[in-house]
Amino acid sequence: MKILMFTWEFPPLISGGLGMACYGMVKALLKQGVKIDLVLPTKEMVYFPLRIESDADTLPTVFLDPVEHTTFTSIKFKTVSERLDFIGISHRPESYLQLNDVEEFVRQVKKETWHSEYVVADKSELWEEMTAHLVGDEDLMKKVQEFTLRAEKMAQKFEYDLIHAHDWLTYPAGMLAKRISKKPLVVHIHATEFDRAGGPGDERIHKIEHAGMMFADRVVAVSQYTAQMIMSRYRIDTGRIKIVHNAFTVAPDMDSSKLRIFSGPTILFLGRITLQKGPDYYLDVADKVLRIHPDARFIMAGTGDMARKLLRRSASLKLRNRFLFAGFLNRKQVETILRAADIYVLPSVSEPFGIAPLEAMAYGVTSIISKQSGVSEVVNHAFKIDYWDIDLMADTINHLIENPSVCKKIGYEGMLEVNQIQWDEAADAIRKLYASVLAEFIKRY
Amino acid sequence: MLNIVFYFQVHQPYRLRHLNVLDIGSKQSLFDTELNRSVMQKVAQKCYLPTNKLLLELIKQHDGQFKVAFSITGTAIEQFKAYAPEVLDSFKALVDTGSVELIGETYYHSLSFLYDTNEFLDQVSMHRDLMQKEFGYYSTTFRNTELIYQDRLSDLIYEIEGFKTIITEGVDRVLQWRSPLYAYKNYSKDINLLLKYYQLADDIAFRFSNRDWPEFPLTVDKFVNWIDHLTISEDKGRNQFLNLFMDYETFGEHQWAESGIFEFMRHFPAEVLKRSHLGFVTPNQVQEHANYQQESISFPDPVSWADEERDLSAWLENDMQKNAIECLYSLFEKVKTRGDVSLLETARLLSTSDHFYYMCTKYFHDGDVHKYFSPYDSPDQAYIYYITALADLEERLQ
Repeated sequence: MKILMFTWEFPPLISGGLGMACYGMVKALLKQGVKIDLVLPTKEMVYFPLRIESDADTLPTVFLDPVEHTTFTSIKFKTVSERLDFIGISHRPESYLQLNDVEEFVRQVKKETWHSEYVVADKSELWEEMTAHLVGDEDLMKKVQEFTLRAEKMAQKFEYDLIHAHDWLTYPAGMLAKRISKKPLVVHIHATEFDRAGGPGDERIHKIEHAGMMFADRVVAVSQYTAQMIMSRYRIDTGRIKIVHNAFTVAPDMDSSKLRIFSGPTILFLGRITLQKGPDYYLDVADKVLRIHPDARFIMAGTGDMARKLLRRSASLKLRNRFLFAGFLNRKQVETILRAADIYVLPSVSEPFGIAPLEAMAYGVTSIISKQSGVSEVVNHAFKIDYWDIDLMADTINHLIENPSVCKKIGYEGMLEVNQIQWDEAADAIRKLYASVLAEFIKRY
Repeated sequence: MLNIVFYFQVHQPYRLRHLNVLDIGSKQSLFDTELNRSVMQKVAQKCYLPTNKLLLELIKQHDGQFKVAFSITGTAIEQFKAYAPEVLDSFKALVDTGSVELIGETYYHSLSFLYDTNEFLDQVSMHRDLMQKEFGYYSTTFRNTELIYQDRLSDLIYEIEGFKTIITEGVDRVLQWRSPLYAYKNYSKDINLLLKYYQLADDIAFRFSNRDWPEFPLTVDKFVNWIDHLTISEDKGRNQFLNLFMDYETFGEHQWAESGIFEFMRHFPAEVLKRSHLGFVTPNQVQEHANYQQESISFPDPVSWADEERDLSAWLENDMQKNAIECLYSLFEKVKTRGDVSLLETARLLSTSDHFYYMCTKYFHDGDVHKYFSPYDSPDQAYIYYITALADLEERLQ
């Protein structure tokens, strides 16, 4: 079985849960014998033919243009990251495509190609819905347009049985590939625009999400929470939705030994500082806890459009040097801060899954997770609290600070639990889904 | 007689490194040594060395009739020693002429007067010791950081042996109908006050190279004429003091050499001294020249020489500034109890007012000035580095 897979993030291209989830999933699928041609928003026009498990780490690279590929193979790279730097994958995902590059690319390719050639009567209104909304001058929209144009070449050139696209950014590419190849399409919902925006969000993105889900043969949701969301908000037929929870694979060389940066209790928020992630609730909780435990230290790691507002508010609450901002952390720094934390808080207003708490738990960090999250469906050894229940969150943290042995015990149990949540099981479910979709597909034609 | 009183402020802070939470406990220095070195060496070349040379020539040329006063912070002296020792030597040569007064202040250019009286007194005494050690000079005039002044300051300074005069800003809302051209006494009549004549001082310090200013270019003739006019209203024979107080970095740094600032200064004393009713004095001569009963003047609220408001808002307006400074002074007590000399020094280096200036968010006219002087991208960044530094300091105390 061979899959053409489109995704926007993949290690070392991580900006959040999507990259981590795709990595775990792909690796486990490879282990189960599924072959994957992976397409990422790289600067150079390349793809990654993944055949064996270790390919998920080494990312073998092929240039679409044979001449360029010959040049590429003649270069000797010392490390994987050196090679990835060459093809333009950045460790900071915001920067992997410069706007100028995109403009140049769009100029070269005739934009109308995706409107006419491959569109036939079937589901053409969904096609119209997608193309009508894939518009705009924003950096991100241009990147998505370019990615979609590129998918045309991939879809024509490759041999594959099924297409798998992750999140709205790659739905247009997935739809185009389906148009060209007539192969079945599975779309994967890691987050919807409702989750990200914490409100109505961007109308164009809703439409693209809707078109993608309707156009697909099957929709994978990362949690019951997300399945509910797409049923109620996007009116997707429940029969076509399959829930597959994310997992977390603990790296064999992971160093989870404790590292004390602060002498007092250390509480951590790790994620984008945006409305969706509930950073403002975290600040309110910190304010409450610090009144009782002034020796506690609250860390807010990440960046986002609410960072300035929260910074100013933390100052106005006079939280002294007890509420600190760590900014954007790279992988290694994330590991360090997790080793230094005692309590992890995920106060998301709406979290389709939320893989970060699993990682925190893998480090033995006692976790408090929002009930409005998918991850709360799969773990037991964590505190599950409504994101708006600041009092209960503060009381829980106070209790853990006052009873460090309880905090340690729950952290340890959480670590054991996460070790059981392996990607193998989730990948098995996905592989079976592929098989059933293919069976239906063969029956139909 | 109108006496021109030049006082130049010489100060360089220790700027913080771009600290991250993960640096806490790494025992690295909190300060950006490379940046501090390069700033000091740049300002030494552009300002301190050429201006000191010029002033030395002028003092010699005018045979003691041209005088100036300096206030040099402890953090500046330390950085001269570390990065540009020739600057310190050139200041010593100036002091040796006998025509230069050295003014006392807080060693760390801090706002301790507003937050911690004991710490303030310690820093004043450290500065006095430094002036004696480096220059053999005993200061009798005081200036508080950024010319911050209020009645309570004069109480504290009066208690310290030796100080006779305080200099501060001639703020309109305090002076009202009074002129900053006369020597005053503080509210309790035991210390002299000299007040900056900000209109003319700022013509040099801020407007000299501003092409949009209607008076541009400022020539020596024009400026001395304006000064001449100030004497017309005085018909009782009282001696006046024209207090031109400014940052020393005005010369060559804020106003580039290309603006002609050095040429202006080179010819200014001679033009003044052509007139028998104009001269130069230093602040410590105020008592001998004040030939009248000095009126007392009360400053119930703090004033400063910064921004249009001339209050504390450049350092202590927004929540970031307030949270940061309150946190610092809450740590001082712990640091002192602990008795670790190097931690106390770190806390004191963090008390330098510039750290709070960088957090200023008054992005308007004055904000531009703040931005020019800040080594960081934004007030928020400055705040993040600062509270991270305070967290590191606190962890070192454990």
